[in-house]
Amino acid sequence: MTVAKRLGLASVALVSLGASAAYYAVTMAMRGHRVQTRNLNYLILGLVAALTSLLLLLFWRSVNRTVGSISRQLNQMARSKRLGLVMVEGCDEIAQVTQALNRLLTSLRDEMGRLRAEGRELQIQSRLAGAEKKHAEAVIFSISDAVVVTNRFDELLLANDAAETLLDFKLSHSLRKNIDYIVHDGALVRLIRETRSSRSNSARRVVEHSIDQKGRARTFSVTLSCVRTPGGEVSGVVTVLHDITREKEISQMKTDFVSSVSHELRTPLASIQAYVEMLVDGEAEDEDTRREFYQIMAGEADRLNRLIENILNISAIESGVVRIVREPVCLAQAAKDVLEVVLPQARAKSIELISRLGSPRRQVVADKDMIYRAILNLVSNALKYTAEGGAVTVSTNVDERREVAVCEVSDTGVGIAPEDLPHIFDKFYRAEGHARIAKGTGLGLALVKQIIETAHDGKLSVTSDAGRGSTFAFELPILQ
Amino acid sequence: MSKKVLVADDEAHILHVVSMKLANAGYEVITALDGEEAYELCLAESPDLVITDYQMPYLTGLELCKRLRRDKSTMQAPVLMLTARGFEIEQEEIIAAGVAATMTKPFSPREVLATVKRLLETDGKEATKRKAT
Repeated sequence: MTVAKRLGLASVALVSLGASAAYYAVTMAMRGHRVQTRNLNYLILGLVAALTSLLLLLFWRSVNRTVGSISRQLNQMARSKRLGLVMVEGCDEIAQVTQALNRLLTSLRDEMGRLRAEGRELQIQSRLAGAEKKHAEAVIFSISDAVVVTNRFDELLLANDAAETLLDFKLSHSLRKNIDYIVHDGALVRLIRETRSSRSNSARRVVEHSIDQKGRARTFSVTLSCVRTPGGEVSGVVTVLHDITREKEISQMKTDFVSSVSHELRTPLASIQAYVEMLVDGEAEDEDTRREFYQIMAGEADRLNRLIENILNISAIESGVVRIVREPVCLAQAAKDVLEVVLPQARAKSIELISRLGSPRRQVVADKDMIYRAILNLVSNALKYTAEGGAVTVSTNVDERREVAVCEVSDTGVGIAPEDLPHIFDKFYRAEGHARIAKGTGLGLALVKQIIETAHDGKLSVTSDAGRGSTFAFELPILQ
Repeated sequence: MSKKVLVADDEAHILHVVSMKLANAGYEVITALDGEEAYELCLAESPDLVITDYQMPYLTGLELCKRLRRDKSTMQAPVLMLTARGFEIEQEEIIAAGVAATMTKPFSPREVLATVKRLLETDGKEATKRKAT
């Protein structure tokens, strides 16, 4: 029952009460009872007031109960943070309000659920994005090339360790700063700026650029890529600096090698040609001179052959083409074989050959022929550069602590000047004045180095006291 | 009187061939195995012509030539330089050093002799010209 209906009924009741009171009064008057109209009026008024108060009281209590229940339920929801429905009994007006309230609560509950799901989704996405960003950064940081990323205002966004070291700045102090203040290499800054502002559509530029690093000029291949938004706007530049100093050096070495080889090959060839012409022109008058010429020509042809052989050997080892037959080899035995072969040569020059060969029990895994060749080259060299009456010592021993077998060849020869020492294993390098002492292809020691270090992962070293002698030593890991 | 020629080369066989060719043609030949030795011999012997290799220990052919140009007793002697292909030298550098002629290895002893003759003749003509004026 609605409040309006109740009030309506109450007023009907009041009117009928008033009407009955009036009727009673009229009847009494007609019967002749003298009724005090004033008293009657007060009575009716009092009755009406009492009745109204009673009704109001009842109504108030009902409303209060319902509102209390609603607020209790709402409080309960607030506490539990769970939206539910408000349940109320009786009182129609309040029921209407609670229905509306329940609709509101339901839509709120749906909305909250949606927001929660959306929130979770966003959280997952942001975690994924964070991981992806970290991953992308890790990729950039792991690149050995220097990478510098700038935005469209030429401000630093990202740079890896290699870039920090190469361009000498700290990323943490430089983020969002203009590269003008970070990169001291003006030419590089100009390149980045040009790439960013260039109107041409070619997104990538590759430039060769030289940077001084610790006083040494290094050559870099700089790749500058303009990064654009899907709309075609320039959003920044990615600069990658790849060190090509080594490649350059190798290509220079190749050029030098070819020119050295052609020079070295041409020298004996020039002699042969010259002697042939002399013979043709009849310059050699007697048989003895002619025989001398033939001998020289044969010797030069031999030298040419040795040169080619050595060049092929070296390049075969260098390029890994040569087959290395690995087997247990005893350094002491190999050294002994070499000493036997060079003994006549040493006797002819009155050079004392001293052998200090350790126990042959410990072996290394190596190519027997190559190791023999390496020791032979070292001993031949020692004999070549040692004057008559000198001594050449060959020793082998095992360094148990470092687990290596060591072979040493030392002489009492001319020695090597300190400035020549770093180059002594270079191809065709001949120390100043050594050519006068002995003939050589300039490849013997280069071959030893290739055999020991490239083919066997060993170590070859030299110490020398100019004028007093040199010691060449190599070591190979021993067989366990 | 036979002309005196100094031949300097660190390759003994080249030295041998060239000196023999010149000696057979009637020149007086002195030899040196490096640049330093060649320079000292030039000062001592004042040769009429110098044949030198470019690549030599201690003193390159170019340095030797420059030194010879500076010294009064050797400045007249023309220098014939033997070079090896693959080690090209700047032409200006050769002219600046005062080299009279260059020949590339491998070379023909015949051509060396012809060049020596030519250089000594023009040198002689110039000398007579100088005397005449």
